[in-house]
Amino acid sequence: MIDYVKSSPHFFRLIKRAFVAVCLILLVLAAVIPAPLQEAADFGRVPNPSKSAWFLLWTQELVSYSNYFVYLIVVMGLFFALLPWLPRTRPAERACWFPREQRVVNLLTLASFVLIVTLTIIAVFFRGENWSFVLPF
Amino acid sequence: MSFVREFIAHLFPRVVRRNDLKLTYTFCLGGLAFTAFLLLMASGLLLLFYYQPTAEGAFASILFLEEQVAGGKYLRSLHRLSSHALLILLFLHTLRVIWTGAYRPPRQLNWLIGFALLCLALFAGYTGYLLPMDQLALWATQTGMELLHTLPGGGILHAFLVPDGIGGSLSLLRFYALHIVVLPAAMLILISLHFYRVRKDKGVLPYL
Repeated sequence: MIDYVKSSPHFFRLIKRAFVAVCLILLVLAAVIPAPLQEAADFGRVPNPSKSAWFLLWTQELVSYSNYFVYLIVVMGLFFALLPWLPRTRPAERACWFPREQRVVNLLTLASFVLIVTLTIIAVFFRGENWSFVLPF
Repeated sequence: MSFVREFIAHLFPRVVRRNDLKLTYTFCLGGLAFTAFLLLMASGLLLLFYYQPTAEGAFASILFLEEQVAGGKYLRSLHRLSSHALLILLFLHTLRVIWTGAYRPPRQLNWLIGFALLCLALFAGYTGYLLPMDQLALWATQTGMELLHTLPGGGILHAFLVPDGIGGSLSLLRFYALHIVVLPAAMLILISLHFYRVRKDKGVLPYL
């Protein structure tokens, strides 16, 4: 016998708490962390290095190795977009973390996650003039 | 107001399994991302009253907002942090969906909708990045646009997005329109679809 509980109040309470928690965290952090504002845009002065937005930096880091890596980005995008239609994908019968029947997908996703995060960290903290590798300290 | 409460209540199932309420089941990442999105819209709406989408006026209006408007600096900071939170939470939500197998049939369509939302959020973040028109904004966006050229077909996209170069009046206006109208509207539509499909595919939490 499955143990059901009414969404109200049990589920709704959880949702409200999550909602309030995120709002409070962001509202407080916004007071503590000011948004950076540099001098007005100057077309005549190019910063060295010129970095793209933080959430795209991993693509810039990748392309800095070789332009052909842009195709890796495209392939990754297509792979994840079409994930449910991969061959041998069977309907999920029960929710659980890291199901064994999709071991390959789990590993590829983990590899992609590590790749994106690692590249982002390298690009944010370890790239100096002319995209050279520098220690940030 | 009971109408609003009942409408919101109808977004969720009447009953849920007790086990599904454990935080580690989903970590509520999708809902948290939606919360960040709401904060983004609220703060962005207020910023609209001060921002000027012209090449000459953009930076000056940000300066005015920060130095002359009570709470202006805070508001801009909130908007920026909410966008960071949205992108990170969306990324983690995507990971959770994959790693719990929740993308598999019969949720293919919902996976596509969610994936599109992630792309739209990234695009919204990118278009918003330029708007302050300071050195950071200009060159980060320019660099991002250069990356576009390495893509097949990137030239066409580039011509549409920046007809007169990054920071030109037409391009800034186009980024502005995308950032405050087109992308939020598209995202709201897809979010509604996403929530609808979640219910239709059984349960806000997977596998009711």
